[in-house]
Amino acid sequence: MTKILQIIKYEYTRHVFEKRFLFSLLSLPGLLLGMGLLVFLISIIMVNTSPIGYVDRAAVLVDPQPLEGEGTLFAPQIEFVSYPDEEAARAALDQEIIQAYYIIPETYPESLEVKLVFHELPESAYQSQFNQFVRQNMGMFDDLDPLVQERLQDTSVITVSSLDRTRQMVEGDWLMMSLPFIAGVIFIIVVLSSGGYLLQAVVEEKENRTMEIVITSVTPNQLMTGKIIGNIGVGLTQLLVWLVFGWIALLVGGQFWPFLQDFSLPADYSLVMVLVLIPSFVMIAAFMAAIGSTMTEMQEAQQISGLFSLLVTIPFYVIMPIMENPNGTLARVLTFFPFSTPITILTRMGFTTIPIGELALSITILVAFACFAIWFAGRAFHMGMLRYGKKLTLKELFGKRVQV
Amino acid sequence: MSTITTNNITKRFGKTTAVDQLSFDVYPGEIFGLLGPNGAGKTTCIRMILDIFQPDSGEISVLGGPMTDEKKNRIGYLPEERGLYQDIPLQRCLTFLATLKGMPEKTVGPKLTHYLKQFDLYDVRDKKVKELSKGMQQKAQLISTLVHDPDLIIIDEPFTALDPVNTEMVKDLLKEKRDEGKAIVMSTHQMNQVEALCDRILLIDHGHQVLYGTLKEIQDEFASRDILVTPRSPLPFAIDGVMEIRELNGRYLLALSEGTEPHQVLKTLINQGTEMTAFEVAIPPLNQIFIQVVRKQAREQHD
Repeated sequence: MTKILQIIKYEYTRHVFEKRFLFSLLSLPGLLLGMGLLVFLISIIMVNTSPIGYVDRAAVLVDPQPLEGEGTLFAPQIEFVSYPDEEAARAALDQEIIQAYYIIPETYPESLEVKLVFHELPESAYQSQFNQFVRQNMGMFDDLDPLVQERLQDTSVITVSSLDRTRQMVEGDWLMMSLPFIAGVIFIIVVLSSGGYLLQAVVEEKENRTMEIVITSVTPNQLMTGKIIGNIGVGLTQLLVWLVFGWIALLVGGQFWPFLQDFSLPADYSLVMVLVLIPSFVMIAAFMAAIGSTMTEMQEAQQISGLFSLLVTIPFYVIMPIMENPNGTLARVLTFFPFSTPITILTRMGFTTIPIGELALSITILVAFACFAIWFAGRAFHMGMLRYGKKLTLKELFGKRVQV
Repeated sequence: MSTITTNNITKRFGKTTAVDQLSFDVYPGEIFGLLGPNGAGKTTCIRMILDIFQPDSGEISVLGGPMTDEKKNRIGYLPEERGLYQDIPLQRCLTFLATLKGMPEKTVGPKLTHYLKQFDLYDVRDKKVKELSKGMQQKAQLISTLVHDPDLIIIDEPFTALDPVNTEMVKDLLKEKRDEGKAIVMSTHQMNQVEALCDRILLIDHGHQVLYGTLKEIQDEFASRDILVTPRSPLPFAIDGVMEIRELNGRYLLALSEGTEPHQVLKTLINQGTEMTAFEVAIPPLNQIFIQVVRKQAREQHD
């Protein structure tokens, strides 16, 4: 056990305390932060606070009062200026006194349609502000019950909910909608990078001939166990750090975008994520170790390992059919195919409720495949560990007799 | 009690028999030479002793029985295929390898420092292994073989890449370990080093035992009836009991006739007034025995 711990410690520290790891760890949050800052700066610079005009031909706005509040950083509360006719409004638009103007036609009470004239389309937030401005100042609702008036002030928000009420998605909650993609991308990066570290560790040990010394000190099983756990630890560290960054981003972002404050990861989603990700981690890691054992050069091993990236990302290539029909045949087949299970399940869970039986079966298949992968890696490792300069063939790998 | 006992061990890879019915013992306090031409089965034999793979038949006893995890900690191994982790500092690499041999991390430090100083690597201990010269890496590998004070040391070509000064240092160290009672198995093609160090040898070819015994026994077995003389004055043209005289770099090889003993020739030379600085029975060099035996084996295989 002590020796396994030593190997875990060695494998973990040799990556985690390397500049290369620190770079890869910070590169994704750094990239996202950089992009976020860029978008932030562009948004701040581009924000147009000019008033928006309106021509009220229907005379629905009675003694209009400005909206209360200050708006948001990217869409501050703007002024709505009344013009007696379209010519005046047009002149103001051409002189860039206003950024756009609305025409409320005489038929508005029946049609509820307005016309927007602009050189550049105003922010949707300003359009929402105008809608609110109109609702607030329309005299036609004065006779209604204040509660009804208040309800009318609020816009409609559609919430799609599953039949068992365990999952629901609120209209406009793009963060929740994009969660499957975010989780999937992070999964791919973390699993493949930690698998890559393991691949590198095994191939390097063969390349630099350290293997023969190590296996006279520990058993191949101890070596593989230590390596797999150590490198999965590296991946989980990466994941943890990114989650912390994500959490900080939500906290900071919540100050500017209030909807971020309401974000929380559903408990069932988190549970399934853990149940799926751990065997996937082990499976990919074991296959990477198997490749490392059979190959003789790092470059060659990396090429073969690229195949796993393709297999794992299959659901992304068919993301539209899965989203459109999350309980369809394609989605189900990919749920049961071990390599595509994690991303397919995470994606489907974003749009549907997967039956418990289906989840249980796919996770069972995944665990069984992970066990097979470990067995396979052990066999490949045992056969290939002392093969210098000669690859193992599939025939040898699946042959009856183990030859070193 | 022997440190290693192999009893009729055989190992086949497909149709090739790498080791065939090999039996030998290695005892504490001896340096045992495991010799043979390339592909003779030496490495296979060593890997079976180390339990890297099992013999197809036969038995191996190491340190008093079958290999266990605990026994692995009592073995130091310098493989033919050298290797150390290249991308980490030397001290960290050696510390890790020592901990895999069961040494607690706290106790590695002082012993490692001792060896690093002895091998003149202390000043480069924080450098990455890949930045060290081949000779330095070889010395580092030797440290990794010895740092945990093993009872059984198996070293394959230990002098490769070492300069004469370091070669002497390693030889002295091996002798020191032998005197401490450690069993040392040395595989090498440098026959002069075998002659200088080994107490007993096993020569194998095509997996078979060809020669096995003490160095003296084997050299006696192959000794010719020759005498080596280093004269200070010219040798007589004819010496009683000597069939042939050949010059060899300032020395003379005297081939004795049947029934003539070396002391009789010595007496004759002294009586004839020959001044000499050396008079010795010509022992065939191990290199010559090796070549002779391996060629004979090859002929027999061919026939």
